[in-house]
Amino acid sequence: MKAVRTTAPAQIRGSSRWKQVWSDKVLYVMLVPAIAYFAIFHVWPIYGMKLAFYDYRILGDHEYVGLKYFRELFSTPIFSNIIKNTLIISAMKLIIIFPIPILFALMLNEFRNGVFRKMVQVVAYLPHFLSWVVIAGIWFEFLSPSTGAVNEGLKAIGLPPHDFLTDKESIRWVLVASEAWRSAGWDSIIFFAAIMGINPSLYEAAYVDGANRWHIMTRIILPHLYIPMVTIFTLNVGFIMNAGLDQILNFTNDSVNSSIDVIDTYVYRIGLINSQYSFATAANLFKSVIGVILVLSTHFISKKLTSKGAW
Amino acid sequence: MTGKKITVSKTFLALLLSLMTLSMFVPIVNLFAKSLSHPNQVHLLRGYEVLPRGFSLINFEVVLHNPIIVRAVMNSLFITVTGTLLSLLFTTMSAYVLTRKKLVGKTPLMVFLIVIMIFEPGIVPEYMVIKSLGLLDNLWAMVLYRTINVFYLIIMMRFIEEIPDSLLEAAKIDGAGHVKLFTRIVLPLSRIPLLTIGMFYAVARWNEFFKSSIFLSSRDHTVLQVLLRQFIVERDTTAMIDAAELLKNSGIAQLDFGSLKAATIVIAMIPILMLYPIILKYYTKGVMDGGVKE
Repeated sequence: MKAVRTTAPAQIRGSSRWKQVWSDKVLYVMLVPAIAYFAIFHVWPIYGMKLAFYDYRILGDHEYVGLKYFRELFSTPIFSNIIKNTLIISAMKLIIIFPIPILFALMLNEFRNGVFRKMVQVVAYLPHFLSWVVIAGIWFEFLSPSTGAVNEGLKAIGLPPHDFLTDKESIRWVLVASEAWRSAGWDSIIFFAAIMGINPSLYEAAYVDGANRWHIMTRIILPHLYIPMVTIFTLNVGFIMNAGLDQILNFTNDSVNSSIDVIDTYVYRIGLINSQYSFATAANLFKSVIGVILVLSTHFISKKLTSKGAW
Repeated sequence: MTGKKITVSKTFLALLLSLMTLSMFVPIVNLFAKSLSHPNQVHLLRGYEVLPRGFSLINFEVVLHNPIIVRAVMNSLFITVTGTLLSLLFTTMSAYVLTRKKLVGKTPLMVFLIVIMIFEPGIVPEYMVIKSLGLLDNLWAMVLYRTINVFYLIIMMRFIEEIPDSLLEAAKIDGAGHVKLFTRIVLPLSRIPLLTIGMFYAVARWNEFFKSSIFLSSRDHTVLQVLLRQFIVERDTTAMIDAAELLKNSGIAQLDFGSLKAATIVIAMIPILMLYPIILKYYTKGVMDGGVKE
């Protein structure tokens, strides 16, 4: 087979390639909508990012200004605060939320075959499918100082009610808690699936050797969760520049804005509300480049650790 | 002795899990209770209660008599239904093409898709594109925007790869071209992934709020999530006042804005709750069966 190919003249190889393309012409026609879509909605905006290096004008040519907007960006004191907020909120979410789905899956595993497990799962997965607007509506009620369940609880144990949503300190914790509330159940699916996939004979063999439940958990279950744990953790690190735009836009208010203003909300505000297109595009380009570097490097780290990449 | 120890820890775990579940369940059900309470008694409803006070459908009546809300619901439905169908068609079609083994140019195409998946140009260039296309304040902007999700495309490709070659070869010998292979064999065999991915496309489109708030500016083209944000986050009740006027002659002295808000949130949740059983049935089963091998 190989011999035939190497002896074939280059000309024929080239023409058979075109023959293949021609015989597949219907396939390429079927690909036209996708190509058009990606060209218009993905490639064109990427080309549009050159705005970061130009002065935007509604009429006439944009003037090339090089790195002017990046210099302005890095010399703005607000921007360092924005970066700080982004990293703090992301890191809080990453560290606090990461173990919850794993613990949740481990707990569920203790109730493998019951109706109880199914009921817990049905409720726990639901918030993942609600929009952040709806979740904000639910949480505003939940945290309401006058009638909310949380403050009813505080009052019941003799503590004064607290308005978590307008306090600069507690608002970040509200972001973390509502994110956990929304996604912890759903994110546990992959870990639960991994636990369910463990061969039961391993447990039996361990019991025969005198293992207790703690041994089973640390020596059998946790090692089986290693690959999904590494994959999901590194994936989350890769997206650390995204602190959660939809969520923050719906939980923000004037009194807390300075402590939860992140790159995405900043870009939205100065770009689309104040129409400083070039400046906003520069901020976004900075974010996207860091994001790509993070995603690619965590992909390779994940590959090194588990011999599997993130995709 | 050990047996007793296990039941104690198991009871503790059951309690902990129940508590976590209740923290998710109660706030949602409380909202339903609020929307179904009578306007004169709703102030008695505490945040942890799950039953309405003085059952009444008046809040829903008010909300659904409001032309602005009805319009927003219709717009959301249009975007969700049209967008999901388009997404499914384009995604499956390109997944079929990209799984053909002899396709010339497949590798560069896949690299291109991965690049697109991880590089986000951001909102300003996207806004400019929509503007250049003349699609600002047009519902089609939201239909076309994010039609193909690369991640779902790859999932679909993995599924189509599982279809036995012999099946396609046999049809080819009988004279079927690619279009026939796709419509007569691939699509009918892909019902389950179509349903699963379709659910996700539909949920994402129904829930989309940020891009809708930017691309759609006029009141006629607003969608439910954007309107909800106005009620909930900005506490802008102007759209509700007309509705309250409408109800003056129904014998109720005053409507409670909180329960009107709750009724609107409930309306926004209904499609999700309707799709939810299908999501649970197909997706979680798919992960349980397929995720294990990963």
